[in-house]
Amino acid sequence: MRWLKAILLILITLVLVWALDRPWGAVPALGRLLDPINGAMANADPAKDVFPDIAHIRGLQQPVTAWIDDRAVPHIHAASDHDLYLVQGYLHAYFRLWQMDLQTRAAGGRVSEVVGEKALGFDRMQRRKGMVYGAEHSLKAMEAEPHSRVMLDAYRDGVNAFIMTLNFRRLPLEYKLMGFRPEPWTNLRTALLMKYMADDLTGATDDIALTWLRDRLSPEEFASLYPEKISGSKPVIPEGTAFAPPSLTVPSVPDIPDSLFAHFNDRDTTSNHVSLSVRPCRYGRGGEGQNAECKIQDSDAVGGIGSNNWAISGRFTASGAPILCNDPHLGLNLPSLWFEVQLQTPGMNVYGVSLPGAPGVVIGFNDSLSWGLTNNYRDVKDYYEIYPADKDHYWFNGQRKAYDYRHETIGIKGGKTIVDTVPYTVHGPVQYDAQQPDPSESGKTLAMTWMAHRPTNEMLALHDLNKARNYDEFVQAISHFECPAQNFVYADRAGNIALWGQGKFINKWKEQGRYVMEGKDSLTLWGQEIPAAENPHVLNPPQGYLASANQSVTDDTYPYYYNGMFYEFRSWRINAILQQLANTNDTVATVHGKDTALHTGRRYFLVPYSRHNNGSYSFSGTAIYVGQDSVQNDVHSYLADAMYPFFSAAGNDTAWNESLDKESTTATTFQVWWALLCKNIWSDDFEHIPYALWPSPERTMQLLRSDTSLAYYDDRKTPQVENRTDIIMRTHKETHDSLDKLRKTTGLEWYKVKNTTINHLTKIPAFGYTGLKIGGWGNTINAVKQTHGPSWRMIVEMGKDSIRAYGVYPGGQSGNPGSSRYADMLDHWVDGKYYRLLFLPNSARQQSKQIRHTWTFKPA
Amino acid sequence: MKFILSLVLIALLSLIATWYLPWWSLAVVAFLVCCFLQQSSGRSFLAAFLAIFLLWLGFGLWKDSGNAHVLATRMAAMFGLPHYSLYLLVAALVGGLVAGFGGWTGSLVRKAF
Repeated sequence: MRWLKAILLILITLVLVWALDRPWGAVPALGRLLDPINGAMANADPAKDVFPDIAHIRGLQQPVTAWIDDRAVPHIHAASDHDLYLVQGYLHAYFRLWQMDLQTRAAGGRVSEVVGEKALGFDRMQRRKGMVYGAEHSLKAMEAEPHSRVMLDAYRDGVNAFIMTLNFRRLPLEYKLMGFRPEPWTNLRTALLMKYMADDLTGATDDIALTWLRDRLSPEEFASLYPEKISGSKPVIPEGTAFAPPSLTVPSVPDIPDSLFAHFNDRDTTSNHVSLSVRPCRYGRGGEGQNAECKIQDSDAVGGIGSNNWAISGRFTASGAPILCNDPHLGLNLPSLWFEVQLQTPGMNVYGVSLPGAPGVVIGFNDSLSWGLTNNYRDVKDYYEIYPADKDHYWFNGQRKAYDYRHETIGIKGGKTIVDTVPYTVHGPVQYDAQQPDPSESGKTLAMTWMAHRPTNEMLALHDLNKARNYDEFVQAISHFECPAQNFVYADRAGNIALWGQGKFINKWKEQGRYVMEGKDSLTLWGQEIPAAENPHVLNPPQGYLASANQSVTDDTYPYYYNGMFYEFRSWRINAILQQLANTNDTVATVHGKDTALHTGRRYFLVPYSRHNNGSYSFSGTAIYVGQDSVQNDVHSYLADAMYPFFSAAGNDTAWNESLDKESTTATTFQVWWALLCKNIWSDDFEHIPYALWPSPERTMQLLRSDTSLAYYDDRKTPQVENRTDIIMRTHKETHDSLDKLRKTTGLEWYKVKNTTINHLTKIPAFGYTGLKIGGWGNTINAVKQTHGPSWRMIVEMGKDSIRAYGVYPGGQSGNPGSSRYADMLDHWVDGKYYRLLFLPNSARQQSKQIRHTWTFKPA
Repeated sequence: MKFILSLVLIALLSLIATWYLPWWSLAVVAFLVCCFLQQSSGRSFLAAFLAIFLLWLGFGLWKDSGNAHVLATRMAAMFGLPHYSLYLLVAALVGGLVAGFGGWTGSLVRKAF
């Protein structure tokens, strides 16, 4: 009897241990996790920074020093590139290993391995997009070039040196939660990260949507509603800038009018449900279906990924030195996309933000010059309709051509693997077919030609750019930055400002790639590459300032054809501010409001609103100091300004400053009103087209201002014919009803309705922040939306004697949710405050009081 | 006396064991200690339970105190618990339970064979 009882107890104990040592669905192995010695609590980093004094690393050639400052930013001083990037890799991994792992897994379609079947669709699409295919090409190019090779290899060794120090206890928390372990870092992972950015920035495309619309609308109507360039655009390269004559002959449109573009009109339009890559974003706090009628016109997915940068000549600054500003808008997540770092070798001293997973500094400044990036948005991703001949062949130039097959093996958590066979054509991978239909569900076989598939070497661009000492070296460096194309703004200590729309582009015939092309004829193939020197650029323009905010790149005098998904509102606003700064003698730019306070005791400035001042502006005699921090945090809506006469017609707040201030209830009223107005104008005419593909807000605004009786104003569902006034008055009424609902649920303050949220990459609510008290929207300079916004704000003054730089990002240096450095900069970011960046002199010894710790790396 | 001795031994040996071995080695420790230091089943369970409960709670509190409750608060929220201390308490209870069963088993095995 006793032994029976003993055996029973043994069994119970074993079952208990077994049950607690394995995951149950999404619940991690609880015993491992709850164990405070090795589990989660082992990741409870000391609230006061503690870093090792010394680390021994195999492969290091000379000792390296990393000074960690009071914001946990490492300042790395090394004797060679090799040692520098090795330690950068080690430190990236030290702070952000899990994030590096997951983001590159996502890039390469390997998420299912760690989360299971639910990610299979995602992984499959990543493979079909040719993410790994493109990364392998770039990897080859990067490894063939000596400088980028050293960077990659050393960086990889550094990451792996850190991984080698890990046991279960020391693993980042997320590994314990998800139940997997890091594998050795490879150069392919770094290449995948570059493609991850390329996909984020050039992956969105309206080719399929425009092909639909082109077949449905008359040519005049289509041209009017979907202009290639919006009239009145203030392009990236200022109007009037002279472009060199093209060295290539711009090709004429191939003489095969019937076989240029695909047609998607072979389906019954009334029953067709079109859902073209649209993630509807709704007002309200995660309430599915709540206020579903007031969708915000520009959703997060569309127009959310944008950025601002500008440079101001010393002629217009208080100090006489040029000022450069940049705030790239990206998906806001934790751990943050960016990691601040300073890198020093004998030939280089650079500070800025880096991408965990890749060596070098992506946005920043060195001791000679500064640069910032915005997405260029020229279309570098085109689709071709493929005509299958049989299972293994397709038609091309009248002949049967065999597919090349790429076998994509996708592992699934639990041991299963599946093999996805992706057919490749002369155009590239077949992304969509009947089994994996495109977003419009046409079922057509569509192959994709994408610049991100080409063997580009952005690593070399960063290598050269980080070391560049003058404008010529800058130009030479960025010529290697080919995809994703970026608007590089530039300011140096010699007083120059410049802007380049840089990337690798194809010499296209008119409208080539604007719509899905017929893939059966070689005449529609991509042609020659445009030489980098002929990319649109400008140095020291007469106007004395330069700005890019994802708007059209050039005026019509640029010799080569291009199209793209451009946005204008932020550009209009920034240009208005800078133009006023340049045109008025008593306004001067300062880096930061603190300087303004120094001069005038006044922190913030106001730019005149055309409604109040009719475009003119007069000063009381004292100089107005314009802190660039307040410009970056400006939430004045150009759209609201332009729409004000209509908005106020129904008695809305007449004293409103047309700003989307965080606590403004009028801002909410306006946003709801505008969304409903767009719906009322377009939803009946574009009944089966999702709202993100309706004519742009810019175009809608122009039509409303210029025309009182467009046919679109009429609601086709009512017997009477509505004009502009009718539809606006009706919108006012509906707005009132929507606001009544909002008042009862979220409250009417704009930040509450907007509900800006920064999630951890796992979307675990306890690791994220929600309901952030911040204003703005996609069409204001401070473009904070629900999950997108300024991912890094930087202001640099490139003085002859000194460099002054400020910066902030929504997160913190540590990727560990258990660290007080996880999101310690978030409050500053929300409040529009900045940190003075500590730019140390290039020296083996440092004096700064801001250095909190010295970490020495020695060869093992 | 035996009770205190086994409690201290289990706590100490478990700390050492789990530093190098998987977390469940504490059940083995409790088993062995209760096997060698014979007590009633109830006292064995209690000694082992308390040993790990106190070890885990103490260790958790120590880590938490230097961490300004950042992580324990997040973990508590993740498990739907309203206060960081509850996370540490629940963790300690689970650890204690496993050790308790290990200890109880140990004493029974000693009696049976």
